[in-house]
Amino acid sequence: MRDSIIKERTLNHPIDIVWKAITNAEEITKWFLRADFKAEKGYNYVFNSTGEDCSPIKGTVLEASPYQLTYTWIVEENPIETIVTWTLEPIDGGTKLILSHTGITNYAGETAVSMFTSFDGGWDNCIAGLVVYLKPMIHAG
Amino acid sequence: MQDNITSLLKAIADPTRREIFHALVVAATSLPIMQVATNFNISRQGVTKHIKILENAGLVTITAQGRERFCAATPAPLREIDKWISTYDKFWNNSLNNLESFLDKS
Repeated sequence: MRDSIIKERTLNHPIDIVWKAITNAEEITKWFLRADFKAEKGYNYVFNSTGEDCSPIKGTVLEASPYQLTYTWIVEENPIETIVTWTLEPIDGGTKLILSHTGITNYAGETAVSMFTSFDGGWDNCIAGLVVYLKPMIHAG
Repeated sequence: MQDNITSLLKAIADPTRREIFHALVVAATSLPIMQVATNFNISRQGVTKHIKILENAGLVTITAQGRERFCAATPAPLREIDKWISTYDKFWNNSLNNLESFLDKS
């Protein structure tokens, strides 16, 4: 059974620009979730969703050295630990980004159920806000 | 729904149960529980316990024919877990799209 999600993207941007986008609180807030974040091992971060009824995500930075960033990912209302890892590799003309999210089946029992129902539509809400925020900026640029 | 996912996750958490389930899926037919026990080189009680847990999760159905009991794989409930994981999958796709848009305009 699949226990992890792995995503790969090729980005036409220098590795340091991408690294900043995933490690700098201000930038994370712009494209992802409102962040209290420092790319320092041991830092306890908080991501707040912009939507209503979206549970904050909390965790601890496990590793933050260019170009690998790993943190625990704990949705507050269902305190089960999963792990998110961002890895960047320089390539010709840009950066390869690999995102992995592991331990998803740790959401066992009751927790799994509430996660299941809260994600089923709930998350769309939480991220829709971001898309609305980004669109005018894209067109302005 | 609630109990389904609980028992599903319990059922697939164990590697031996995953192997038994896989063997039944591959067999694509009902097998006597005795035969499964022989194939896996574990006791009849052991295999019965695993199959009961799989049955409880809706992944296996057990039917009695005379004195022998047969079991067959019914994988449909796994779709529930798949749906659950795919929600996260979608979340990350959207997030990475947002990251790309953000990088493009900065």
